[in-house]
Amino acid sequence: MTDDELVAAFQAGDSGALGELLERHKAAVYGYLLRLTGRRDAAEDIFQEVFLKLVRDPSAYGQREKFRSWLFTVARNAAMDHFRRQGSRGEVPLQGEGDLPGPVDHVVSPEPGPEAAAVNKETGERIAAALGRLSQDQREVFYLRHYSGLSFKEIAGILGLPIGTVLARMSRAAAQLRKDLEKDTQ
Amino acid sequence: MYEDIVMNCGYGEKLILYFYGEADGALGAAVEAHIGNCPVCRDELAALKAAAALLSAVREPHPAVVEGVMRAARAAVSRERSFGLNWREALLSGALASVLAGAFALSGRPAGAELAWNSGLDAGLDRVEYSLYQEQAETPASSGDWDYHYSGLEDENFSAK
Repeated sequence: MTDDELVAAFQAGDSGALGELLERHKAAVYGYLLRLTGRRDAAEDIFQEVFLKLVRDPSAYGQREKFRSWLFTVARNAAMDHFRRQGSRGEVPLQGEGDLPGPVDHVVSPEPGPEAAAVNKETGERIAAALGRLSQDQREVFYLRHYSGLSFKEIAGILGLPIGTVLARMSRAAAQLRKDLEKDTQ
Repeated sequence: MYEDIVMNCGYGEKLILYFYGEADGALGAAVEAHIGNCPVCRDELAALKAAAALLSAVREPHPAVVEGVMRAARAAVSRERSFGLNWREALLSGALASVLAGAFALSGRPAGAELAWNSGLDAGLDRVEYSLYQEQAETPASSGDWDYHYSGLEDENFSAK
């Protein structure tokens, strides 16, 4: 069943359909929130909030856009609300701080995919550090593109920005990553 | 020299589209040709690949978090069903009550109403039946009128004891 069919089934009273939607999208949404917030507890709270929005009001998704677009719009807005409540803009380190493990430590799959396996621990830490040094705007666009898999046009819609701005932020993020990784190797 | 390329390359955004598979045929070919001649773009591409590889590791919320959402979903669906059934029962009850009330109201209508069971036809039939009954009552009964097939049997059973 498509996402829209599953949502319609849930709206008609099939709670199992929501379970299927959760299975399909939980890794992407949670991964995005974890990277954005840098904290497992915050990511889990926001994650629940995102899906409970659909539970409390199934008609909240009106099928005017892709379900995934809607989902990440809700997730992004919930994350921004979280940062406002915290009085920050999500500029938290992605690596562990004190007793708090960082996202680098939250890899669930014991056997990473072939791409991830090619990145050794040291390289992974360098990249994670470089991602942490991106500006909040760059980081937001970068993670949204990676985790949602949506097109830049759709991401521009989620962020309420012109597509040129989104691409410019991504380009600056890529340039920043390159510079950071070069510095680390020098 | 390297920084000069950074300033003048102009392929930054095109590289992004290319890396994420959004550069169509002509643009994709142009970027590929450019990368061959631009070390900066090659390095940026490598940085994007490394970042994507790191981010590709799967992260999932704690199962209890997911179960919390499902519990809320099941409760919401259950509440919705219960509300729906109560509404249907209320409507059916109301409809039935209306029908019964109507029937009751009709049963209390005056005797002069033109209804089949209160017409002169029934009164006539009553008279006929009554006259037949009177004739039967005045005619003496004979044993043949009462055909008790079991009377003999009863006598036999009684005498056998």
